[in-house]
Amino acid sequence: MNDKTVGISSEEHITVTNTKKESLRIQLDQSATVRSNIKRYYIYVVLVLIVFVFSVVKLDKFSFSEFFDRGHFLSPDSVINMLRSAVPILTLSGAFTLLMISGYIDLSVGSAMSLSAVVFSLMILNGFSFPFAFIITLTLGIVMGFLNGYLVMKLRITPVIATLVTLSLFKGVALLIVPDGLSAIKGSADKVMPAWINDYARKDVLFGLPWAFWVAVLVIVVLVVVQRRTLLGKYAAAIGGNRLAAELSGINAVRMVWLLYIIVGFFAALAGMARASYMSLGDPLSGDQMELACIIAVLLGGTAFSGGEGSVAKTMVGALIIISVTTGLMTVIPAYWQTVAMGSVLLAAVALNHLLVRDKVKA
Amino acid sequence: METKQVEKPVQLQTSLLGGKLSDESFITLFMVGVLLLVFAIACLVVPNFYKPQNILNLITNNWFVIILGIGVTFVLITGNFDMSVGGNIALTGVLSVYFCQGFNVSQNALANGLGLPYVVAVGLALLCAMGVGAVNAFFIAKLKVPSIIVTLGTMMLARGAAQVITQGAQRNTSLPDAFGFLGSWGIPGTSIRISVLVMIALIIIAFVFEKKTVFARRIYLIGANPEAARLSGINVSKYLTVLYIISALLAGITGILLASEFKAGVSSRAMGYEFDALVIALLGGVSIAGGFGSVLGMFVGAIILSVVTSAATGMLLSPDWQFILKAVVTFIAIVSQRFALERRKG
Repeated sequence: MNDKTVGISSEEHITVTNTKKESLRIQLDQSATVRSNIKRYYIYVVLVLIVFVFSVVKLDKFSFSEFFDRGHFLSPDSVINMLRSAVPILTLSGAFTLLMISGYIDLSVGSAMSLSAVVFSLMILNGFSFPFAFIITLTLGIVMGFLNGYLVMKLRITPVIATLVTLSLFKGVALLIVPDGLSAIKGSADKVMPAWINDYARKDVLFGLPWAFWVAVLVIVVLVVVQRRTLLGKYAAAIGGNRLAAELSGINAVRMVWLLYIIVGFFAALAGMARASYMSLGDPLSGDQMELACIIAVLLGGTAFSGGEGSVAKTMVGALIIISVTTGLMTVIPAYWQTVAMGSVLLAAVALNHLLVRDKVKA
Repeated sequence: METKQVEKPVQLQTSLLGGKLSDESFITLFMVGVLLLVFAIACLVVPNFYKPQNILNLITNNWFVIILGIGVTFVLITGNFDMSVGGNIALTGVLSVYFCQGFNVSQNALANGLGLPYVVAVGLALLCAMGVGAVNAFFIAKLKVPSIIVTLGTMMLARGAAQVITQGAQRNTSLPDAFGFLGSWGIPGTSIRISVLVMIALIIIAFVFEKKTVFARRIYLIGANPEAARLSGINVSKYLTVLYIISALLAGITGILLASEFKAGVSSRAMGYEFDALVIALLGGVSIAGGFGSVLGMFVGAIILSVVTSAATGMLLSPDWQFILKAVVTFIAIVSQRFALERRKG
């Protein structure tokens, strides 16, 4: 701007400064593009690297032909197993992402999953049909999400505290439902758990994968569309970016976030049923630390801590990273390393997220 | 994530000198009233609840949560969480065992340690505990990451490290004789042990610190409005760092006392204590939204929780009830305190 008014006497001068500015702008553009490209694609690189490392680490000699052999990380059996055990987190973390984009958090998802698993298997054990138990459990999920939304949005209790309270509540109810002396709802001498409880999460329907997996895929597709193409997704980002501004422009933030909490509760119930069906029992601790797994997936996926931006699709890549790490580590180090590994992944995700997401916001 | 939704004015004058009761003292008194009510109900329902020995037990059986509560209270007042204390207890306990187990004394890997003197072992374990606090502080104060996410991560890291050192179980062999002293010695004829005395001393120190030091007053300012605190020249990250290290140190002290009491370093020790510490602070009126709360209130909150859980045990409820009870009590406390404060302001 200044150059044009001051340097008017010499046309040459203008052109020179303009070219200088132009080249500077291009440089800036390039560095911004490089950075945004890193931000956009690093998660895929991380996933590929991790998969590569775990594929190679057990090989006697380095040869690509062995990669997909039986007993290796990328063998068809192993991949199918990983995807089957990934069902709960794939089902749940999409909705969790939407909630975090809106700047809120739900720490009760693990307990909500456990409670759903317990209630679902209790009903199956007592002779309920699958569709009936399925629908009742989903309703329970909606109720749990509604309660969280009520505490956070209506009573305006800080999200972390409100959902820690419901975490304790759901966990307590799940533990109470399980009879004294048993560790889970499972078949016994007088009551046999129907074998078909397994069908949902274990029986092969397509490409060796069960119904639960394909339901999770459907959920992911729907949530990606919701985030990118619907008002709910846009409103979630707006509320996370600046709640006051969102409200002033006519968005009913209370109702929107409440709805998101209900959606999270709904999918927590769905994930809980997948877990119960997979284990063919209702374990009141089966969902423990699911909230941490979700947070890790979301942060790896580049969603900002404070909300406002994020991507459901990338959270899924984050979820696959977690599953690869936990499954892969089991083959190399003893099980008691698991917690420390997850903690390190969480802190690494936080640091990565800080480096890439924060910088972008500043620029 | 931690949206400041409830704005409460903070009263910075010390209450009793000014003649007018501050909101914090008001809430503490309110919770003392609640405590008396809950205690009266418990006495009616549970036989022998009123006996002096039982009342003493209500305080002495909860020394570990109260010690944790001190650190957690100050961190909460600044508007942050510390969920790593439970894992930190496990880690410090396990480390204090590992450092002083005999060096190369057995075939069993879990019986071998570093063979250091007990005092050195304790010192090193406390240093490691403070290291966990420093990691918390680095992520929270420097990188500005929400405290709940960071401290949940360090919780896993600390507990995971404890599991690695104990191979998922516990270490309890080839310990020096001095190991059990701290946790087991008590005033003869009473149930008061060293750990309880430590708790009382720490409560008194924390109380004086809270009421009489500029440092503590600034903590409240940070909680009420971090931006205003920064603009008025307070080095917010320095304060957060100190508080997280103090909280971790208190967790470390608890871990060492517990390990000494049980003469074992157990990796699953103190599961869920971080939640209990948070609950008693909330019961005592500490509010995350706006620099509000007191150590004395936290102490009252701890006794309330202790009355409720021990009354539940006395009524022969299954231990599974404790989760529901804690949730319900916390919820009622938060809502009733807010109601009382709003009524007070008219």
